[in-house]
Amino acid sequence: MPILGELAVILILCLLCEGIAALLPFPFPASVLSLLLLLFLLLTGGLKERHIGRVSSFLTQNMAFFFLPSCVGLIEYWETLSRVLVPFLIIALLTTPLVYAVTAWTVQLLMARRRNKEEQP
Amino acid sequence: MIETILSSPLFGLGLSCAAWCVGLWVQKKTGFLLCNPLVVASGLIILILTVFQIPHADYDRGGSLISMFLGPATAVLALNIYNQRRLLKTYFFPVLAGCLAGCLTSLGSILLLCRLLTVESSIAASLLPKSVTTAIAVAISDSSGGIRSITAAAVISAGLVGALFSPLFARLFRITDPVAQGVGIGASSHALGTSRALEIGPLQGAMSSVSLCVCGILTSILTLFLP
Repeated sequence: MPILGELAVILILCLLCEGIAALLPFPFPASVLSLLLLLFLLLTGGLKERHIGRVSSFLTQNMAFFFLPSCVGLIEYWETLSRVLVPFLIIALLTTPLVYAVTAWTVQLLMARRRNKEEQP
Repeated sequence: MIETILSSPLFGLGLSCAAWCVGLWVQKKTGFLLCNPLVVASGLIILILTVFQIPHADYDRGGSLISMFLGPATAVLALNIYNQRRLLKTYFFPVLAGCLAGCLTSLGSILLLCRLLTVESSIAASLLPKSVTTAIAVAISDSSGGIRSITAAAVISAGLVGALFSPLFARLFRITDPVAQGVGIGASSHALGTSRALEIGPLQGAMSSVSLCVCGILTSILTLFLP
């Protein structure tokens, strides 16, 4: 598949999901919807890795770059943000590691338990 | 001439790519944790815009073109998940339970801290969905009376913290399992953290993509039940 063909598949799929997201009765992000639809198509064999592989690896390998304008956009919010800066920073800096720890511990614990069960049937 | 240059979307595009490369170079030279390309590049662009007094709107004509690709970049994470489908099937329950625990912790700890710090309710509503990806977070914040810009800033901050420090968290909290590491990153710092997880390893990347989706969906549902 030509590289522009791959791009067309991905862009049209995302566009379609934006339409679907607008029809839903509750707010749901089009990007997560398109991830789910793409996963469904891959699992059912409607799409193969060769249809989207090269553009996908370009996008995922440079994923952080696409966040750059949002980070620069923080200067626009500075005025609103500076009024609540201290609680904002405390909450942002404390809760992120906390969520990481609780999530990862839960997964690790449950996986270890499952492995133990498999070893001693 | 200057006005023509500034009004072209190529200005924001070119500046972003160039600043990104400077960021990559700085990271390679220093190897210092905080010299992440995203941090260096956004700092550099903010500095340039401020020093030359260029309006942010001029930069954003090109910048918004880059942001537009966040959707497709999130969508193609499906391929990473697909490639790890066998493992995911085995550990489906632990992954799901981890995501649920993470979402509840996120919402609970933010509510508690907001109460402790006596933050006004509109700010609390804006901070509440900060662990999930921007699109979901802004929708949740809107529906609960939050301020969009603060939500966007909180989401980016959570993402940056995860992208910068997640390897450190793994060591600090003794998380040795790659699946657990991935799910933790996705739950605490959405797609921005996932970009780092992909660099750590394909398994971490895929699990982070899974948890970014699951947590996004769970958080949207859970916030419906909040007072």
